[in-house]
Amino acid sequence: MNPREVAERLHENERKVLHALSGVGTATTEELSRLTGLARDAVEKASDWAATKGVVSFREEVSQFFTLTDEGRGYAEKGLPEQNLRKLLVHGPQEIAKLKQTFKNLNIALAWIRRNGWADIGDGVIQLTEEGKKVGDSIEERLLRALDETSLQSLEAVTEEDEALLEQLVKRKLVNKREEMTRFVAITDFGRQVVPELEKAEKVKVITQLTPEMLANGLWKGASFQRYDVTLPVPSLSPGKRHFISQVIDYIRRFWVELGFKEMKGEYLELSFWNFDALYQPQDHPARDLADTFYMKTPYSGHLPDMEMVERVKETHENGWTTGSLGWQYMWDPEVAARNCLRTHTTSLSVKQIAKLTPDDLPAKFFSCGRVFRNETIDWNHLAEFYQTDGIVIGEGVTFRDMKGYLKAYMEGLGVERFRFRPGYFPYTEMSMEAEVWTEERGEWMELFGAGMFRPEVVKPLIGIDVPVLAWGPGFDRLVMQSYKVNNIKELYTNDIGLLRRARLWTE
Amino acid sequence: MPVIEVNIEDLRELLGRDVTVEELQDRLPMMGTSWEGVTEDGFHLEVFPNRPDLLSIEGLARAYVSWTGAQTGLRSYPVKKSDYKVVVDEKTQKVRPWFVTAVVKNVEFDDPLIRSIIQMQEKLHVTHGRRRRKVAIGLHSLEPIEFPVTYTTKPPEFKFRPLGERFEKDLNWILEEMKTGKEYAWTVEGFKEYPMILDRKGMVLSMPPIINGEYTRIDEATTELFIDVTGTDLKAITEVLNVICVTLADRGAEIHEVHNHYPDGSVLTTPNLDPWVMELDNDYVNRTLGVEFTPQMSARELEKMGHGTEIEGDIIKVLIPSYRADIMHPIDLVEDVAIGYDYDNFEPEIPPISSEAGEDPLEVFSRGLRNFLVGLGLLEVVTFMMSNREKLFQRMSLPEEPICETDNPKMEAYDSLRNRLLPSLMEVLSTNKHHPYPQNLYEVDDVVVLDPSTETGARSRRRLAVALCHSSASFSEIKATMNTILENLELDAKVTEEGWECFIEGRRYTATLGGEPLCWAGEVKPEVLENWELEMPVAALEMDVDALFKNINPQK
Repeated sequence: MNPREVAERLHENERKVLHALSGVGTATTEELSRLTGLARDAVEKASDWAATKGVVSFREEVSQFFTLTDEGRGYAEKGLPEQNLRKLLVHGPQEIAKLKQTFKNLNIALAWIRRNGWADIGDGVIQLTEEGKKVGDSIEERLLRALDETSLQSLEAVTEEDEALLEQLVKRKLVNKREEMTRFVAITDFGRQVVPELEKAEKVKVITQLTPEMLANGLWKGASFQRYDVTLPVPSLSPGKRHFISQVIDYIRRFWVELGFKEMKGEYLELSFWNFDALYQPQDHPARDLADTFYMKTPYSGHLPDMEMVERVKETHENGWTTGSLGWQYMWDPEVAARNCLRTHTTSLSVKQIAKLTPDDLPAKFFSCGRVFRNETIDWNHLAEFYQTDGIVIGEGVTFRDMKGYLKAYMEGLGVERFRFRPGYFPYTEMSMEAEVWTEERGEWMELFGAGMFRPEVVKPLIGIDVPVLAWGPGFDRLVMQSYKVNNIKELYTNDIGLLRRARLWTE
Repeated sequence: MPVIEVNIEDLRELLGRDVTVEELQDRLPMMGTSWEGVTEDGFHLEVFPNRPDLLSIEGLARAYVSWTGAQTGLRSYPVKKSDYKVVVDEKTQKVRPWFVTAVVKNVEFDDPLIRSIIQMQEKLHVTHGRRRRKVAIGLHSLEPIEFPVTYTTKPPEFKFRPLGERFEKDLNWILEEMKTGKEYAWTVEGFKEYPMILDRKGMVLSMPPIINGEYTRIDEATTELFIDVTGTDLKAITEVLNVICVTLADRGAEIHEVHNHYPDGSVLTTPNLDPWVMELDNDYVNRTLGVEFTPQMSARELEKMGHGTEIEGDIIKVLIPSYRADIMHPIDLVEDVAIGYDYDNFEPEIPPISSEAGEDPLEVFSRGLRNFLVGLGLLEVVTFMMSNREKLFQRMSLPEEPICETDNPKMEAYDSLRNRLLPSLMEVLSTNKHHPYPQNLYEVDDVVVLDPSTETGARSRRRLAVALCHSSASFSEIKATMNTILENLELDAKVTEEGWECFIEGRRYTATLGGEPLCWAGEVKPEVLENWELEMPVAALEMDVDALFKNINPQK
């Protein structure tokens, strides 16, 4: 850039600094502060910016100052404890027990006298070593006294040996070390070329911030705007935002509605009847175990619904009723069915919905999206509550091929290239399917979600007729984890504000 | 679901060809199993709980050979007639009533068979047997047994020599000291006398479901077996007995019948390995699958799945093998037709169903609120509904109330359902102290309260909560937040001085609409902030979204 362009980009403070330096050539920030009338850190900032533009250069020198601490001052006046002890011992060995009563700072003295190898201790008696006898006045004491008189301005005033001892005294907390940095700023040759341009530019008024007064009074006319370096970073904003899970849930709802499905809603706390029995799960099925399901203490159990329907479900479990099935062939207990639990899947909503329908309401398509609960210990791959979503299609003439059709549309919508549907197993569906996706990195098929047609033993007792029902749950957590690169399922729900602030907008 | 380990060499021997792991990995799932991974000697396979016949490698081979078309149709498993007799004593009927048996001869115990039987027995016990209580299997050497065998009960002082012990032990010792005793004592808990199987000499074959007797120990030289299956469910134990018998028969063993005499005078002769019949309407197949198969085509697929078929017009009489525990309804046969035909071969299509679509109105309203609150610069959080009393009441300095609590939680931190939303926001604030302030949060989600008028005695309510957390968080700021929400819904609420005790007195209120509480707000008490280890003031509110919704949609 040429001097003129640079002149136009200088901030008011940079100009002041540059003008000052054009007079003296070099100055410390202290001196510049006096010359320009700016605060010291304003001068530092200005010289930082000016240096990036090449109009000044600076170097920094670190000076060290040493001063005594209170403890250090005490020893400067009265001598170091280990020296005092040593001088005492010159007259002969001493008993430590006696010393304890008379000698001040005995522990410190003992520690250092042994460290220096000046004395030996044995049988409660301390005596000087040969070396201890030879030592004279210590350098440390000399340094301490020197410091007492004036604080050392810089390390140049001491020798290398002294330097090491001073550091030791600092460690012993007898001396304080303070470092100060002095910055020397100098105008560069290029800077000297810019100065004349400054005067030219100053004749023209420069606006930093356009204000309402300038607009009202036309003061902006004939002035120019300070040019910014537009590539420099600016402070970040912290906007209000939707949680990424919440955004994905909105997306899933939109997905279902676009396919023509209507939302079903229901309760989290449900009768076992809806969560298990209406789904033809026998009462001794392992999934009904305490291990996997949250059963309620309060409220313990509820009231079974429409007794006629309950009777049909009972018969179906016991002997198949009129569904054409053999049933599970055991005694169905209404008390077990009335027990309250937290729903373990959104499929409980599906059966509740089917029970509300009459044949005149068909065909119909329903979806649900909500929380389910599993009695698990929470770790990186398991949660006690999480989101599920479920869809059902119910109507005469709905077939197995149609189920493949919906699932294929869903997979293609997800952008999955290679997928297949293989036989699966759920106690309440038959035809059951698992949708698998081919993972190239592992070279194998991975289960993604399940689907199936509700068994006649599920549907007929609820709605009274044999009508096909397709059901599937496209999975939720994995979708979110993959999109937001979250490896630990707990992170989805920990609400770490840093993560929430960084998470991108869901744009599907 | 049970996972079995398959030794590829054993499987190759049974299949009669050098099948590759790649082929099995690709095809076995299409037959109705789940691939769990390759191992050193073969692979792991997850078997569905309704197919106990696939828990043995012989069963797996049988199914695969049939499904791939190499040997289709019903297999014949003849059972030889005999005089073997077992007597079931009245005393067992109250504790472990059901007992079926079989005699198997000409067994060759080589390594693959031993591996298969041990694994199958273990998996059957855990799944079908519900950890041995519902079904328990005993395998015995036939040779020392003198018939008739009796199934009865014995008191705890009774002694016998259990498998693996050198001396006779009483039953209490066995339950308390032996490994399987400790593991399965729960199955006979509360019994005064324990089930026991003895032969005519009074020698003990086993104490089901705990342990066998040393008397009938099996080793590699054994060639004749006596099998007992006891349990609480006749159907289940029969299925298991059948599965074991056909597994052994596939290895060339001979099955002999046993007559089980029950105390009511009836005699059950087992095993019965004859097929049973279910009729399948071919029209049902076509309607369900969406295809146009002829009865012959459907029958061919059923034969690939191991069934026998006889066609009479449009009805197929299906002869279902005795080891298939999963067929309850013709739909199960339809699934077999589909698996036989191969799921991959069905052309997908989407039915032209037009139906009313849409979201639940409360959800649409909630989304509107969520999007509106973003405009106030608030950050949305999504928290757990499960909580505990300590967080809901003690930490909030709120008086305790009845809430929905679970009976059997695994973690103390999550043993109840929240009845307020605000404590969840306080928890988020308390775990985010290392992030810069201000932290202004909101959530629109559900709480659950007790309600005796509902089916379950509980009901969920939709709430909205806002927590403003920064160095100058104030009453006026949170009240202004409520005002702006209400103004934008064209609602007017009346503000009264009572309020929640977690808020500072004189700086809290309850807003009501039509006499019903709508919003609780205020500055959070410093003691409460301290309980949450927060060093930043918080002003917060909670609103009843159901009440808001009701007031803007009086007719809904």
